[in-house]
Amino acid sequence: MIAKIVCYALNGLEGVPVEVETDINKGMPSYEMVGLPDAAVKEARERVRSALKNSRFLFPVGRITINFAPADLRKEGAAFDLAVAVSLLKASEQLVGADVSDTVFLGELALNGDLRPVAGLLPLLISAKGHGFTKFIVPAANAKEARFLGGAHIFPTRTLREVVGHLTGAAPIAPLGTAAFVPHASSKNTADLMFVKGQPVARRALEVAVAGGHNLLLVGPPGTGKTMLARCIPSVMPDLTFEEALEITKIHSVAGVLGEEGIVTERPFRTPHHTATTVSMCGGGNRTVHPGEMSLAHGGVLFLDELPEYNRSTLEAMRQPLEDGRITVSRAGGTVTFPARFMLCASMNPCPCGNYGSTERTCTCTPAEIRRYRKKISGPLLDRIDLQVEVDNVSYDALASSARQESSAAVKERVNVARTIQSARFEGCGIHTNAEMGERELAHFCGLNAEGNAILRSAFERMKLSARARGRIIKVARTIADLAASEEILPEHVFEAVSYRMYDKFD
Amino acid sequence: MHYSQQEKAVIWLSARVRTDDRTRAALLRAAGDPARLLFDFKKICAAVIKDGANRVYISGTLSPAEEAEALTDELERRGCFAVTPLSDDYPASLAAISDPPLLLYGMGDRALLGRRKFCVVGSRRLPAWAERQTGLMAEELSRHFAVVTGFAEGGDRAAAAGALKNENVICVLPNGLDVCYPAAHASLKERVAAHGLLLSEYAFGERAAKYTFYARNRLLAGLCEGVLVTAAGSKSGALITAARALEYGRDVFAFPHQPGTLQGVGCNELIKSGAALVTEAQDILSAYGILGEERPRVALTAREERVLAVLRAEGCLHTAIVAERAGLAVFEAAAALSSLEIKNLVVKSGGNRYSAV
Repeated sequence: MIAKIVCYALNGLEGVPVEVETDINKGMPSYEMVGLPDAAVKEARERVRSALKNSRFLFPVGRITINFAPADLRKEGAAFDLAVAVSLLKASEQLVGADVSDTVFLGELALNGDLRPVAGLLPLLISAKGHGFTKFIVPAANAKEARFLGGAHIFPTRTLREVVGHLTGAAPIAPLGTAAFVPHASSKNTADLMFVKGQPVARRALEVAVAGGHNLLLVGPPGTGKTMLARCIPSVMPDLTFEEALEITKIHSVAGVLGEEGIVTERPFRTPHHTATTVSMCGGGNRTVHPGEMSLAHGGVLFLDELPEYNRSTLEAMRQPLEDGRITVSRAGGTVTFPARFMLCASMNPCPCGNYGSTERTCTCTPAEIRRYRKKISGPLLDRIDLQVEVDNVSYDALASSARQESSAAVKERVNVARTIQSARFEGCGIHTNAEMGERELAHFCGLNAEGNAILRSAFERMKLSARARGRIIKVARTIADLAASEEILPEHVFEAVSYRMYDKFD
Repeated sequence: MHYSQQEKAVIWLSARVRTDDRTRAALLRAAGDPARLLFDFKKICAAVIKDGANRVYISGTLSPAEEAEALTDELERRGCFAVTPLSDDYPASLAAISDPPLLLYGMGDRALLGRRKFCVVGSRRLPAWAERQTGLMAEELSRHFAVVTGFAEGGDRAAAAGALKNENVICVLPNGLDVCYPAAHASLKERVAAHGLLLSEYAFGERAAKYTFYARNRLLAGLCEGVLVTAAGSKSGALITAARALEYGRDVFAFPHQPGTLQGVGCNELIKSGAALVTEAQDILSAYGILGEERPRVALTAREERVLAVLRAEGCLHTAIVAERAGLAVFEAAAALSSLEIKNLVVKSGGNRYSAV
């Protein structure tokens, strides 16, 4: 008898159906797996044999052939264990009467028959549901992640015996209830602008950056709170919608970094160390392609501390994803496109010794050293960072208003209003924020009046701004106008936007 | 460019005879007519130099006269010219110093040599306000003087850039005219060569060394009627220029700096020891009996006036403090400051601090 069981394999963020076929013939006992399984899949032979035995089932004797179809797709990982075990049971007629044709089996087996969780479960479930499957048997340890897939019967199981009991009807398992998505259900990020002392200029820049989806560069001497500020960014970003959360969860699930809660409820904040390689940022892997830091930061913040210390090629690799919001990675195992729409926040010192522009300490760098240091950031990358702002180390004793520090919630409210204005404006344009505007939208939505144009022209002459700064300044001015709920871009908005271009001046 | 036989002899003497300027001058005196050097060099040399007379010049396949011809041809090819004490336009002020150069290479507008000259120098690292003021001061002075400066970053660069607006700038390099040091100033060098004048006493290909800066500074001081030092630390090269200027009897001017600022210690010392304190271009122009034009007033909004008044009253301030003093939100103050910066009335000096210019 031939048994056919459906399982799913991961290809990037998409699930691909794989049929596990088992045939048992008479003849010399053997146990073969065909259909391009990789090492981890082939090892399923031994795991399944032990799991069957230790679950008090019989391991069939005969010529056993297990085929994974389609045969041209490379199969990876241990998620096929359960499907192989069930198909063996079915083929050896130990599962009489159970209908398994419309059920998807996912899970790794332990030698004692326990089911272990698999990485990337949610993307598999979403794809399978899209293909019309509604019954899923998954490891109980993955239940939290699976609960968010509505409109399907998902049966969490702990052991192989439970699976068989459920299939034969001896001990049916109750399907998982669908969980409602609650943003910030599990808050790990406790940073709040309330705890940031001073930094009025940087605070404002941060608010503008988040309101318009702009990238942000914080420049300042060591120990002035650049990292602290950056950590607050997720706390002022708009709440995740369920669709966004699902997409982010898919990426995190594939990468195997999904936490206990099963779904991402907070915007990610990724801080790769400056020794990060290009592959770790972009994604890659030997045969299967894993998402990199840029994709893991999708929907959230990618924070690069000490920007000039990063490998130059690593930074340059971010240019295209910063424009397109996704990254296509090609490896021997295939070509995969991951989403990578993140807000880039970078920090750096103003010079190698870090004291340039400080009042208390003297900078010991020569002009040539400072120039070399700044040149580590290429023009095209800087071009994609709309706001460049200095984080200062002034002592705020001189300020009477220093006692009042706004909380993230207050800032977030204003950000939400500005984002609503933008959503209305870009209805039907395929973009959502000011930062994403192209030349066409710039011309359409950001017309400057004669005065505004005159300001920009004189700013270019006097402050020696580079040509590429123009579009950036207008976009930021648009966001500032949105924050002020102004239909028009007024001169003061342009002036403020100009003040955030500290690194665009030619030397 | 046509060179007389005498000039060619001096060019050859400077470029090919390996000795110091004092010996060269002695050789010239001994020759009587400089042109004799090209034909009778061995004899004149033996009379002047007792030991190692044949070491100072090793003849190649060409005769000295042919070599002199080749040297002027090369100048022509590179678009440069040579100025010697025999030239009509050799600056009189330079001839008056104790060790005038025997040969100056030049590139650009030779007519600038004949103008009144004033030197503006500043150290490489200087406060932002001083850098901005150096540029503005040089721009204003260049309406009446050819502004002479070095070629370093910071103060020199600001002065050159300011004076370039009136195409009235002379940069004296501490290296050959074909060398660009610092390398980042390649475009500045091109602009000065096109709209001003580059001078150097060093042959093509010669690189800057510690001593060439000292020697160059004597030229800066020697060329000019006066020297303005806009910023100088306690051991700045700008102070050497000032010292030379005093030695040659030129006027010395300096910007006053806030006490305790390391980058301004030298300037304050100069003022203490008698240099004239300068806060505006008229201070210098008056010393030479020139009346400058008034700077046109720029129209400001009420908010900008308020911010500017705060900065004028209190000096260098942080944006947040400006905002508080002027009764504005931080971002409103930032916009006003940015507008004032565009209008050249304030300057940003790092760490979100601004000062009025």
